[in-house]
This record gives sequence, structure tokens and C-alpha cells, in this order.
Amino acid sequence: MFTTVTMSLFEGFLGTLKLFSLTLLFSLPLGLIISFGSMSKTSIVRWPIRFIIWVVRGTPLMLQLLIIFYGPGIFFGTNLWGSGDRGRFTAALVAFVFNYACYFSEIFRGGIQSIPTGQYEAAAVLGLTKTQTFFRIVLVQVVKRIVPPISNEVITLVKDTSLARVIAFYEIIWEGERFIKSAGIIWPLFYTGVYYLIFSGLLTLLFGYIEKKLDYFK
Amino acid sequence: MSILEVNNLKKKFDNTEILKGISFDMEKGETLSILGSSGSGKTTLLRCLNFLETPDEGTITVNGNCLFDAKNGPLRDGDLRQKRLHFGMVFQQFNLFPQYTALENVILAPKLQSNGSNMDEIVKNGKSLLEKMGLADRMNNYPHQLSGGQQQRVAIARALALRPDILCFDEPTSALDPELTGEVLKVIRELATQHTTMIIVTHEIGFAKDVSDKIIFMDDGVIAEQGTPAQVISNPTNERTRQFLANYIG
Repeated sequence: MFTTVTMSLFEGFLGTLKLFSLTLLFSLPLGLIISFGSMSKTSIVRWPIRFIIWVVRGTPLMLQLLIIFYGPGIFFGTNLWGSGDRGRFTAALVAFVFNYACYFSEIFRGGIQSIPTGQYEAAAVLGLTKTQTFFRIVLVQVVKRIVPPISNEVITLVKDTSLARVIAFYEIIWEGERFIKSAGIIWPLFYTGVYYLIFSGLLTLLFGYIEKKLDYFK
Repeated sequence: MSILEVNNLKKKFDNTEILKGISFDMEKGETLSILGSSGSGKTTLLRCLNFLETPDEGTITVNGNCLFDAKNGPLRDGDLRQKRLHFGMVFQQFNLFPQYTALENVILAPKLQSNGSNMDEIVKNGKSLLEKMGLADRMNNYPHQLSGGQQQRVAIARALALRPDILCFDEPTSALDPELTGEVLKVIRELATQHTTMIIVTHEIGFAKDVSDKIIFMDDGVIAEQGTPAQVISNPTNERTRQFLANYIG
């Protein structure tokens, strides 16, 4: 029984992993773009972006999942996401990417704004372009500063993926719960915690390694 | 022909006029020191020359080329980059790039400008500059591994690497404790004997007197007095200059 449960939970965990990794892949770059928008000197860009960040960070992710999944059908009468598991996955991914991009954007903004103006001025008097200044001077310093808060968000994301079951996205909690109905046992559900723990443990090690790698400067 | 001519430079922040019409010129190979109390506009003047601030009025002419005329509006990005290379800048807080070693700090800008060609020469030049600064054994250290005085010397080498016409110093020793001030002043003094054209904003009056060909004393956004160190420091005629120097015994 234990082996069977372990194996099928692992299958559920693959769903978790898929949502987790694709969310990161898209939300990190999107977050960077949003952070530039939220720091824009043009108020027509800055305020709408800040408004969106406020809405996304100010409402539960579970609610966002429901609205994004059911919203198009209810308000526009179109089945935007298509049917079946694929549709559920796409809707969940869109909700997660959007939500996490907003959180990341605030971390990026904080990181970028924490770089002393002296760095920009030194780059300017040395004739560096704005692009060179960002990529050669600012970026690594920002990365170093944001690794701890980013690692926090990433570990939260591991566990947040379980929210996607509200739109019947198949992941590990879903799989664990199945055993209650099919076999009348609850321990497989509890057992899912071990998967989360091991995975977030690995991530903690990874981020610790990155932090150490960036320790060569201060 | 003067290497630098500044004419009627004015700068306002909000409604406070910081520079109220500054005019001066200097010759190639001269060392010019700018003295004055805090808030007199010395640093703003230096920042205007490096285009870190855009003057509201006036002109800046280098080697007979008018680099900036407020009448023509602010400079565009590409233009700005070219023009500010006539000036080098050494900041009070050094502003080294922490993720690069001393040598990398020095060669970064020349490397980016040459698109990676001539690397051998750029590295050679960077090393020889650091050697001149007495940092031969510190080239591969990161800024946080260096003392303040060493960091400032790296910053001087970094500014020199682009061969500016005029090297500007904004209170280069103000962030250093007295023990480290000497080593930075020594380097600047050496540059002066080699006839590097320099503008130094400083509170080190004794040093300014020794090293300068010319002194400007600024007060409340105007040049209150200018002339040789013997004139301005030893025999000041302006009342404000006298008050300022009364606190200095040397």
C-alpha cells in the first residue's frame, strides 16, 4: 500500500512541479517588466500598473483563480480556456503567473531602488549607456539584494500550487484526497506534506548556494 | 586658448538659486581648487561641468568647442555621453562598482567603448595607472577588501583611464579619516606635478594652497574671490573669504 501511495502521489507531484516551474519561468521576466512600469516616469504608465499590482496583491489568489477560470464564460460567454485538463492548467498558469509577477515586481522595484544613485552617476560620468549601466552595473547588485525575498516567494509558490485544485487542477493534494474516497484512508493526504518538505528543502539549499556564490562582493 | 571657459552658469533647484552666474576659465595643465562653505554651490558647479546637473543658463566651452549652451536646451543622451567624457569625476563616496575588482573597475569603461578590441592595451594601461596609484598589489581585490584611501585611489585611476581633458574631484578626502587622507592627497599632488588639468573641490585649505595654480572662493552661489593661492588665501580682500579663512590656521 505504502509503495502504491508513494507512486501515485509522485504522479500528482508532477502536476505540482509543472505548475510551479512554468509559473516561475514566466512570472520572473514578467515581474521585471511590471517593475519597470511601476517605476516609469510617465504617470499614465505608472498608475495603471500600480493599480493592477494593488488589486492582484490585495485579493486572494484562490479568488483570482476562480475569476480567471470562470470569468470569461460568465461575462463574455466564451470558453476561453478550452475544455478538459488542458484548459484548467492554462487558466491556473495564467492566474499564477500574473499573481506572482506582481509580487516579484515589487521585490525587483525595491531591489532596483535600493541601488545608491552614486552607482548610476559613476556609470554616467564614465560614459556608459543606460543599457550598459543596467546590465553591467545595476543588475548583479540587485540580484544579490533580492535573493532572500525571492527565495521566500518561491518557497511560498511551492505550497500555493495546491490552491489550483479549486478549479480542479490535478496536483498532489488532489491525488492525496482521492485515497479518502477510494480507500477510506487519510494518511496519504498527510503524507503529501513530505513531498512539499523535501522539495522546499532542496530549494532552500539552492538559494543558499546562490547567496554564497554572490558573496564575493558587498 | 583656455582649456575650459565657463560663462555665466546658473542653476536653480525648485526656487532656490544655487549658482547665480559663475564665470571662470583655466589653462591646460593647471590645478584649480574651489573653496567655500557648505551650500556655497561648489559641488553643484562640479556636477554641472560633468552634466550630472543641467545648468539653467550659461555656457561651458572646452578647448574652444562649446559643449553646452543653455539656450539650445538640454543635451540628448548620446551627445551627453560624448561630451561628458571631456571631464573625469572623482566622487566623495568613491562610488566604485562593488562587483568588480580594482582593475576591472578601471578598465570597464574603456573596454565598453572599444567594443572589446585593443584589450591588451587597455589592460596594460589600467595596470600601469593602478601602479602609479601605489596599488600594484591590490589590483585583484574587490572594493570591500580595500581601505577608503585605496578605494579613492582606484576611483582616481578609473577616471584617468578615459584620459579626460579635465579631472574633477568632489571633496575627495571628506569621507576618509585623517590617517587615510594623506595617501589620497599625495596622489593628487603627484598628478599636479605632472600637469594634469584638475579642478578640486575641497575643504583641505592647506593642501589647496600648496598644490593649486589658482583658487576660487565661492560664497552663496557666486565667486567671491579668485586668484593665485597667494592672493586668495594669504591676502584675501573679500570679507567673506576672510571670515572663512579665519577658522583656518596654517
